[in-house]
Amino acid sequence: MTIRHQLELETISAVTLAAFVGIFLAMYNNNHRPKSSIFSSIPVMQEEQVSAVSPLPAVPVLPKPQIISQISSDGTKQVIMRTTYNKDNTQTYTFSTADGSGANEQAIISKILDSTKTMNIPFNTWSPDNKYFFVQEQIKEGSTSGIMAFKALGEPFNSGEKYFDVTDLFIKRNTGNNFSEATGWASETLIIINTTAPNNTKGPSYWFEVPSKAIIQLSTEF
Amino acid sequence: MVQILYILVEMAKKIIAIYFISVFVGIVFFVGASFLLKSQPDCANSRTCKSDLLVNVDNNAIGMFQGQKVIPPKIDLALDTLKPEYAVLGASADTGEKHIYINLDTQTLYAYQGKTQVMKTLISSGKWGRTPVGNFNVWSKLRSTRMAGGSGADAYDLPNVPYVMYFYHDFGLHGAYWHNNFGHTMSHGCVNMRIVDAKELYGWIDGPVSGQKGTPVSVCNKFISPNTCVQENPIN
Repeated sequence: MTIRHQLELETISAVTLAAFVGIFLAMYNNNHRPKSSIFSSIPVMQEEQVSAVSPLPAVPVLPKPQIISQISSDGTKQVIMRTTYNKDNTQTYTFSTADGSGANEQAIISKILDSTKTMNIPFNTWSPDNKYFFVQEQIKEGSTSGIMAFKALGEPFNSGEKYFDVTDLFIKRNTGNNFSEATGWASETLIIINTTAPNNTKGPSYWFEVPSKAIIQLSTEF
Repeated sequence: MVQILYILVEMAKKIIAIYFISVFVGIVFFVGASFLLKSQPDCANSRTCKSDLLVNVDNNAIGMFQGQKVIPPKIDLALDTLKPEYAVLGASADTGEKHIYINLDTQTLYAYQGKTQVMKTLISSGKWGRTPVGNFNVWSKLRSTRMAGGSGADAYDLPNVPYVMYFYHDFGLHGAYWHNNFGHTMSHGCVNMRIVDAKELYGWIDGPVSGQKGTPVSVCNKFISPNTCVQENPIN
């Protein structure tokens, strides 16, 4: 091998090596930027003041009726729940719907529950098109004991029912999994149901299709 | 002797030339590879990512999400200009920097102005695509745009997505009319909000103006307080 050939070989080797080094450095630079695990450039917020607890009244009185409401995503509809506390230790829950402004209120249903249960309006109560809504009944310890789905104005479904008891329908379907919660609406007609498996692990999720009452098991967990 | 010296000088020249060529080639490959690696942004909307992220209103289109047809809300931009009706978050006396925090753990959005919390609401972050964790700034505000992407059963095509506030490439905060499952992951990487919440935030948040960056957005794995936004493997 002549000196010229040797130099040519060394040139090719050096240039190839330089190219690899360049790519390696670029990849290293791209993947190893400095990262912080705690973002701490924002000023500290003042601690919230804890308000003093009011003393109990000397004579026991029934709590005042409560009104809560939940507005739809577009702000045009709302569900209103009025809770009245009765002397026999039960509560009356009265549901109505109205426009976002509160106008055109329409009574939907009233239900009396004993003190072991409560009712509430979930954050995701309205279907995305505001045609349906659902409310839930809970045992006071926290587990959901019932989901009731209504049409927006409380009119009956085609089957003549005023509402669908989603939990009851799910139990009757006998899927092998236990109803856990209804999280919200996957689309205009589909309520998302989460379950627990018989061994108490997380079970599959389901869709409950409101008009048809169909229950569809999903491959995706919500 | 002179002959040997001449050969040595020639060899030295060639070695120096090889050295400079190698350094030059190394730099060229470094710059080229860096450019190629950086020019592949994460993309929430694989179709719109290939085109401009511009205002788009199509009141006659039908949307599609999770294999279901969706009717988009009608949007009249002229009416918006005449009567924006944006609710004003916070009191007029609020001062200090505006900052948005997203808590991926609890699927909650917090808006702060200085030390005052002006909004707290449930959101839906990435389920079929990861929402990027890190610290960003709103780089574009659009009253409405079309978002499309995914494939197969996860394909989506959503016209008239309202109140879009992009903070990283095509990842943004925006209203969602096709589902109502906030508080649970439900997006392809964006941060979905109720339309009423997105509208309020859109009216409050600042886009980039005169060389100043838009409102900061911090996406946290866990958010405890404005000085404690826990971020695991942030992208910036």
